[in-house]
Amino acid sequence: MKEHELEKILDKAVHLGASYADVRHQCYEYEMITVENKALKSYSSRRLSGLGIRVAIKGAVGYASTSNLSQGSIEKTLRTAIKAARSIGGEKKLFGEPRIVKADTKSPIKTDPMDVSPEEKVSLTLDANKAAWTGKEIKSAITRLALSKDSRLFMSSEGAKICVETGLVGLAHESVAKANGFMERVPYSESMCAGFEFIASKDWNSFTSDISKLAIEAANSQTPPPGTYVVVVHPEVFGVVLHEAFGHASEGDLVFTGESVLHQKLGVKLASEIVTIIDEGTVEGGYFCPFDDEGTKKERTVIVENGIMESYLHNRDSAQQFGVESTGNGRAQDFENIPIVRMTNTYLQPGKNKFEELIEDIDFGIYVTEKGWTGGQVSPGMGTFTFGVGPSKVIKNGELAETVRGVVISGSILDTLKTVDAVGNDLNIVTSAFGACGKGGQRASVGFGGPHVRVREMTVGGR
Amino acid sequence: MEFAELAVQKALSIGASEAEAYLQRARTTRVEYSKEIENLKTVESIGMNLRVALGKRTATYSTSILDESEISEAAAKAVKIAKVAPEDPQWKNINKRFGKAPAEGYYDNTLEKLDYQEIVETLISAINRMEGYDKRVKPTRGSLTTSISTVSIANSYDEQSERKQTHIFVVMSTKAEENGMKSTGTEDQETRFWQEIKFEDLAIKAAEKAVKFLKAKSTSGGKLSVVFRNQIFANILGVIMSGPINADWVQKGRSPLSKKLGNRIASENINLVDDGILRGGWRTKPFDDEGHPTQRTPVIKDGVLKNYIYDTYTALKDNVESTGNAQRLYYWMNPQPSPNNLILKSGKASPEEIISGTKRGIYIEDTIGEWLSNPISGNLNATITHGYLIENGELTKPIKGVVVSGNFYHILKDGIEIIGNDLRNSMQNYSPTVKLTQLTIAGKQ
Repeated sequence: MKEHELEKILDKAVHLGASYADVRHQCYEYEMITVENKALKSYSSRRLSGLGIRVAIKGAVGYASTSNLSQGSIEKTLRTAIKAARSIGGEKKLFGEPRIVKADTKSPIKTDPMDVSPEEKVSLTLDANKAAWTGKEIKSAITRLALSKDSRLFMSSEGAKICVETGLVGLAHESVAKANGFMERVPYSESMCAGFEFIASKDWNSFTSDISKLAIEAANSQTPPPGTYVVVVHPEVFGVVLHEAFGHASEGDLVFTGESVLHQKLGVKLASEIVTIIDEGTVEGGYFCPFDDEGTKKERTVIVENGIMESYLHNRDSAQQFGVESTGNGRAQDFENIPIVRMTNTYLQPGKNKFEELIEDIDFGIYVTEKGWTGGQVSPGMGTFTFGVGPSKVIKNGELAETVRGVVISGSILDTLKTVDAVGNDLNIVTSAFGACGKGGQRASVGFGGPHVRVREMTVGGR
Repeated sequence: MEFAELAVQKALSIGASEAEAYLQRARTTRVEYSKEIENLKTVESIGMNLRVALGKRTATYSTSILDESEISEAAAKAVKIAKVAPEDPQWKNINKRFGKAPAEGYYDNTLEKLDYQEIVETLISAINRMEGYDKRVKPTRGSLTTSISTVSIANSYDEQSERKQTHIFVVMSTKAEENGMKSTGTEDQETRFWQEIKFEDLAIKAAEKAVKFLKAKSTSGGKLSVVFRNQIFANILGVIMSGPINADWVQKGRSPLSKKLGNRIASENINLVDDGILRGGWRTKPFDDEGHPTQRTPVIKDGVLKNYIYDTYTALKDNVESTGNAQRLYYWMNPQPSPNNLILKSGKASPEEIISGTKRGIYIEDTIGEWLSNPISGNLNATITHGYLIENGELTKPIKGVVVSGNFYHILKDGIEIIGNDLRNSMQNYSPTVKLTQLTIAGKQ
């Protein structure tokens, strides 16, 4: 797609009565290799390309997109967007002040994953799967290799022009083990915003065999007695809970409509003093997000500082509603979607304690580990959450003891953050080439994490 | 020549022994709203999935770019990958049986003519209903999505087959606030016909729910009778049963229903059907995503497990005929067995009769986290966000924040006391209101 063609479309939008217009062109390439039970199940490869046009007329926003990039189709798309905006009407104020940027940026892809031979990718995935058959208890093993490359060009009638290219690669594995008539599955994955060099640098055979060993151990163990415990949570799991139960509630659009439990909470002490929560566009291990899909630079946003609510997350629309500047959180799944308020990399800032210090004075508790978590659900209006996590460890007299399986943690995030009484000094932020965060029918890659965290009271159930 | 057929021809011409092209065109309109319409968008999308086999080596390539040169490139890339892929010893062939089942009610032609103005006016009227219901209520985020899509399938054994379908999905959400107490109310409906959406009803119910739950509290736990609202039980049914009845799970040893065909796995009043030709059903269609005709498949009949659901690949493995359940979640995915419309057959009791016949129990209006339930072990686990105590046959106090749990396979065997007569869907899952005996409710200690 040539830039001057997009410029012409923007000019035309203004000519047709738009007070603002932007166009996003995207080209996305994706490969997924799936090996099930030592056999190649599928090798699928995909290319997606197209553009979306957003126009505003008197504050009413119309959007249209197409994957047909012929001249006629693009013009029809523009007219559809204009018609959509006109049919809404209304006198809403339009967006916050722009900060015009021109930039061209790339994630550190050293080896383009699409240039690596299919043979090499298939044999790596097959080998990793074969290594997972560590015992007769293993009943099923699925390994997936995902490789993607995403190029996005953003241009607006205000003069912004930003090009971002991101690579995201990873390997996911799930083992199902059966012991004593009980089946347990442990899924886990590791991903990185990088090229194929990340895949080539890791020992995936020990990655999958470790998951199998854990699945067997879990199938042989018990569920914890339901109750309220002192819990130490692995960064990855705490990061997911924080993202789902707190991060979403801090999104300006949900706050504005009053759907969020954080409505009217700026300046209020919500968490214990050792809790500082950040959303940042570019961090080690996280998703690469230097700009959002509205052309705003995504920097470091402090959501909570020392327990006090400092800022919500905004796109230009919600920023305007709050009379502040966008925090660079206007993100869209792809060119077929309008940017909405989304997190980038949301994490808890590390504290002072070593892991041993977190568990040393716990008489009886649970250490929620990272492997095997299957996800969760929250009600952002109430701040309640429920998460299914993988095999975990019992903490007895300050030491890690036996494994327990099928753990479900639940609670109210505001209560949970108040009872955080120790924060580790480690920092572990991850992203995923497999799962993505869902909101309003759109998926977006994000990063999440932080340090190990100790929570005084958390409800633990079994399933 | 149509693109799907062209892609098949190209692949065969450069060495594929079999090829299958799945092409989808969709026009989706989505409106987002809260107190006012926030935005309106229309997405025109095209996508093609080309699956090729060279003997027992297979590969898939998908693209959203549809012109002759990209199709040639897609065929070349798919064949190139298939050449280096290891053989799948289980591979036999792509679907050889094309055909159309007598499915009805999956396309609404009024959607083609529906203009933005009418959509906007309908929604504004519903938003005003929510706002006007009670001064404590505010509409929060909702959305309406309508889509018209055309699916064309061609393969090396048969000529192209085509179907056109419509889907409409609406969510209305509200929030109520009074003296620092907060509550929410959400209603949703998924259907194939514009006229079937009850906008006013949904708006009023969502507002009414939020107001009623202002005073909701947690309750003490214990073993109690539990009545599930139809849509909620439909959801749970889908979460637990969709995998285990899938032939792919069965063949891989993941399903707890493996080797149970012909066995009694549920009480006699339980009938579970996968119905691809249900009139107006969410996934009703004349043929599945491989072009194979759909059908009505009894899964559990009078408590006995009768069938698993199959696509071509899994059917050939078991030497049976596909049940027409090949499903591609997105066009770029390979087909896999998945329920068409999974239906727990209705009984005779009305929901009112079920409640009035319950001395003490809990009525579940809405849950979250039910999808964390474990289909392998059958452990059902959900957090009730909206529920009521049932006392002497009446819904009394609103409750929230308690967890309901039990084992779904035990429930099927002897835990379903009454099945209602009010069948309703949550996407492709259908259930009436049901009353279960003795589930564990974990409340506040």
